[in-house]
Amino acid sequence: MIHIRGLGKYYDDMKVLQDISLDVEQGDVFGIVGHSGAGKSTLLRCLNGLESYSEGSVKVMGHEVCDLAPEGLKELRREMGMIFQNFNLMNRKNVFQNVMFPLEVWGVPKKEAAARVEELLALVGLTEKKEERIRNLSGGQKQRIGIARALALRPKILLCDEATSALDPKTTISILELLMDINIKLGVTIVVVTHQMEVVKMICNKVIVLDSGRIVASGETDKLFLAPGEELRKLVRDDYAVIPSGTNIRLVFPREIANESIITRMARELDTNFSVVGGRIERYRNDVIGFLIINVANEDLDRVIGWLEKNGMIWEVMKDGE
Amino acid sequence: MANELLYALWETLYMVFLSTFFSGVFGFALAIVMILTGSNGLRPNRALYSALSFVVNLLRSFPFIILMIAIIPLTRLIVGTSIGSTASIVPLTIAATPFVARLVEGSLLEVDPGVVEAARSFGASDMQIVFGVMVREAMPSIVLNGAVVAINLLGYSAMAGAVGGGGLGDLAIKYGYNRFQTDVMVYSVVILILIVQLIQSAGNAVYERIK
Repeated sequence: MIHIRGLGKYYDDMKVLQDISLDVEQGDVFGIVGHSGAGKSTLLRCLNGLESYSEGSVKVMGHEVCDLAPEGLKELRREMGMIFQNFNLMNRKNVFQNVMFPLEVWGVPKKEAAARVEELLALVGLTEKKEERIRNLSGGQKQRIGIARALALRPKILLCDEATSALDPKTTISILELLMDINIKLGVTIVVVTHQMEVVKMICNKVIVLDSGRIVASGETDKLFLAPGEELRKLVRDDYAVIPSGTNIRLVFPREIANESIITRMARELDTNFSVVGGRIERYRNDVIGFLIINVANEDLDRVIGWLEKNGMIWEVMKDGE
Repeated sequence: MANELLYALWETLYMVFLSTFFSGVFGFALAIVMILTGSNGLRPNRALYSALSFVVNLLRSFPFIILMIAIIPLTRLIVGTSIGSTASIVPLTIAATPFVARLVEGSLLEVDPGVVEAARSFGASDMQIVFGVMVREAMPSIVLNGAVVAINLLGYSAMAGAVGGGGLGDLAIKYGYNRFQTDVMVYSVVILILIVQLIQSAGNAVYERIK
């Protein structure tokens, strides 16, 4: 669907994007993560031509974006919906008129367009709000309207620019569930730009990590988070206080071994003690993965690691400050 | 006396209404060009924007009374005379057009760029964006600015009146000031105050309805 090779972009002398290559396939939910200023929103805008680029190639559904004439670019944008952090809805139009607007722009006959709007409002669950002014809606409702508007022209790709960053955690989850639904039921390929790791973990099957305009990590989400590289770890730093003595080990519990009482077995078999420093359960798309951080005395470290290896555990030794 | 007051009121309304209308049309068109060609516009064109901006500033820096006299030949060319209410509509329009252009440009600049970007993202054309998004979103602010312009022109029209345009300002000066008829002066001023209040209330009412 989207194939980027060697993409580079400059503002004057400043490099905003450097040597970006990635592939998004039909049906993917593709995550682009990074701190603010990492260039992720710019990268997203290169996909639908809202931003130009100076180097490399961006091919979307077979078209090189920067080679498209204005008319061709319009046609491409018709195939790509976009939602935004601040929703970007028109205050002087009501809910119905906002969703209707893209259809008007493309000259869809009134009756057909109205029926489509009803359909979309039902999809996002806001049928009863159709006469409402935008300013009377909550953030989550505004984003639902943004989604309805972005889907109005039946796009094949949906671009999400920090779509949940202005929302509270509960609303974020409901919006992400809606996006998942759209991905699965309507088969819309989704590209998500965000600085929120939870968003990536919850909905993306593939992800790239962007830092200062370069890709520093990429891959399938679950694999990437199970064994995060140096760069990704900087972004997902576990905030556990490091215990002054001993070594912290992070254990990962995929679903298959979550039930095997690993910890108590290890303690028994090695006849040793260790303390639990922290842990959490995270949701990755449709999977649940547990993390546990234990602290072992340095003299036991080799034995513990040996045991973990023998038992096929996924683990890593954490360095100070991680 | 009452007749003269009524006639002067008519002349004032005539001048203010028509000059507001014409300067509104021209100023609006100018603002659209400026917003398109401005540095963050949809069709940036530095040369054109700078030229327009310069002319707008130039016209706005003229004291109105000087401008009025300076363009007498133009006024003659357009209306055939340089005296009377109709003739004064020309300088009033020319004085107010750049003012309108700046105000409307300001209103349009306040439109959230994100909304414009959203419209671009689903393939709206530049014209659809300017009229369907920017002007539409800016309308409440444009309406309020319209009241500002009309009230400004009311003030200018009094000045135009003094040099042969007629109207309430002229009446206040001729009868009230020069002939010491204080009552005429007071009536004229009271009527002017009422018109200002009326224009502003109308502007606010429309704003409240459409915002």
